[in-house]
Amino acid sequence: MADFFQLAINGFAIGGVYALAAIGFVIVYEATGVVNFAAGQFVMFGTFAGVAALVNAQLPWPIAYAAALFAMAAFGVLFFLLVYWPLKLSPAVTVIIGTVAISITMQNAALLVFGSWPVRIPSPLEGMTVEVGGAVVSVHALLTMAITALLVGGLWFLLHRTSFGIGMRAVAQDVQAARLMGLKVGRVLAMSWVLGALLAGAAGLLLGPMWFADVNMGDPVALKAFAATIIGGFGSLPGAVVGGIFVGLSEVLGASYISSAYKDLISFGIMIGFLFVRPQGMFGEKIQDRG
Amino acid sequence: MQITRKAFLKSIAALCVAPMAGVPARAEGGGEILVGATVPMTGPLSLTGLQYLNSLRLAEENINKTGGINGRKLKIVFEDTQGSNSTAVNAYVKLAQETKPAFFFLSSYSTQNLAVSPEVKKVQVPAMYAGGADAIAEGGNDWMFRLRPTDSVAAAGMVACVTTVLKARKVGILYIQNDFGQGGAASAVKALEAQSVVVVGREAYGQTDKDFSAQIINLRNKGAEAVLLFNYPQDGALVLRQYKALGMKAPLVGSSSLYVTATMQLLSPADLENTFCVLDTLVDPAMSPRMKDFIEQYRAKFGNDPDPYGLAYYDGAFLMADAMRQAGLDPAALQKWLLTQKSWDGIGHNYAYDSKGNGVHEVVIVKTKAGSKALELVKKVTLS
Repeated sequence: MADFFQLAINGFAIGGVYALAAIGFVIVYEATGVVNFAAGQFVMFGTFAGVAALVNAQLPWPIAYAAALFAMAAFGVLFFLLVYWPLKLSPAVTVIIGTVAISITMQNAALLVFGSWPVRIPSPLEGMTVEVGGAVVSVHALLTMAITALLVGGLWFLLHRTSFGIGMRAVAQDVQAARLMGLKVGRVLAMSWVLGALLAGAAGLLLGPMWFADVNMGDPVALKAFAATIIGGFGSLPGAVVGGIFVGLSEVLGASYISSAYKDLISFGIMIGFLFVRPQGMFGEKIQDRG
Repeated sequence: MQITRKAFLKSIAALCVAPMAGVPARAEGGGEILVGATVPMTGPLSLTGLQYLNSLRLAEENINKTGGINGRKLKIVFEDTQGSNSTAVNAYVKLAQETKPAFFFLSSYSTQNLAVSPEVKKVQVPAMYAGGADAIAEGGNDWMFRLRPTDSVAAAGMVACVTTVLKARKVGILYIQNDFGQGGAASAVKALEAQSVVVVGREAYGQTDKDFSAQIINLRNKGAEAVLLFNYPQDGALVLRQYKALGMKAPLVGSSSLYVTATMQLLSPADLENTFCVLDTLVDPAMSPRMKDFIEQYRAKFGNDPDPYGLAYYDGAFLMADAMRQAGLDPAALQKWLLTQKSWDGIGHNYAYDSKGNGVHEVVIVKTKAGSKALELVKKVTLS
């Protein structure tokens, strides 16, 4: 039982990170109709923003985290202005290909700046563990779960209880109608990229101490986050959360109780199963108006 | 203007022959001798790739400083293999067709070596490589010469560590899921079973995996008294950290990537406690004056420590230079010369090539000194 608990905690922690990256996907998709294939590199940039602030600049923890998140927000604005905005009238597929190109550019830019060697980022809770139900759990993993829950809650509050969030949802439903109602659509769209970048940045900062900062870390995260959004339902916020945790748990528990050699097959097999049986995912709408 | 049929055929023939005419001119002329090297310079495999990129550059400089190859300068032309087999094949083919080198160095990754092997066979120019998979040499390619021990030699070293140093009777195996990991694990199982050691579990992981808790817990629950790890650098460091975090007490014996510089810089001395590693050779200044000189030059030039992969290619470059000095640049003569080497004195090893192109038949078992990351020799293992 202790082992199951241990594995479940690890699955939740890693699933929480997938969930944050998946929410980044969802927010951008919902507001702009663009599937951001650079989402994994956003997470990688978040981690390296942490490297720059914590390891290179040696800033104290709170300032370093704030600086890293600020850098990610600024990156979101830049991405909106330099990638999305110039292509906004192009067909969706052009924008999607643009995100793929930017993804490659981001990875190579990080390689040029930080080099290919992975970097160990310290955690403020380095080495701290607690024993829960016979399982030794890293406090950083517990913190990751708590922060994920907090961010998801905050995001739900923003989208459902603030006028800005309601505006974002309005733009997501119908850009023309939102514009006619007087909403500043450009600002709302920019904000969705900023939010996506911030969430990816948070995921990257949480991941850094658990994995290592590495310029190639973005692709596996993006793949798992993509699987999470398919399973949870493309465009659904609760779907992204449940999908992320589902992928994290299926990976860890599948490796333990079925086969470690086939653990990715299990996650992606489930994703393919959903595409066949329930393409809208767990929480997605049955009829999609975007593709 | 009219062109006669004869003139047209002549010009076509000239166009076809012209590129071939360049081959002997480049190889036998009086200019630089070109050598091709396909190295993972970017991507996840560059962690070790940069070591041999640097070592080959250092070797090129030192060979040229001491008169080159019978008075001719050596020039190594590099192509990036990145992290994929197809890129490795493209890099090799590009060098073979455009640069037409007199000799090749391939990467240290078995999957890339296996992918490139058929092309090497077609080009028929000797190539040195450092992938460990036995399958590369078993493929019957007479043009490939290995600079490191095979995985079965390394696995035998790991088994020797388990049976003679740790005296464990129940062993678990954790391996990266590719040609290297699967081959190494299979060789280890065979060698362990031959010594009546029980393999209690075999667990695999993907190259991009980041969580290994399920595999580690499974091995613990199966009662492993020691764990063999077949890893690449970064995943090896992550496995080790999670191994400690999960409170594993069984000693861990890692393959050569566990103690390379790229891995060690991610780990603390505490992470490395109760671990052993099977390396090609111990890269330590105390081993020999030539080793000391190589380490000092490498550190001065590149700002970090060399690892056994870097040393293997450094030795390889000097071995190639000797071959060219004594046998000339004819590929068949170079191949023949290399196959006759039964005790070529390198810095890391005495290279003795067998009919399958395997030149290294020994490994060392090492561990870290208490409270530090400095390595100490536990045992040398030589296999026939």
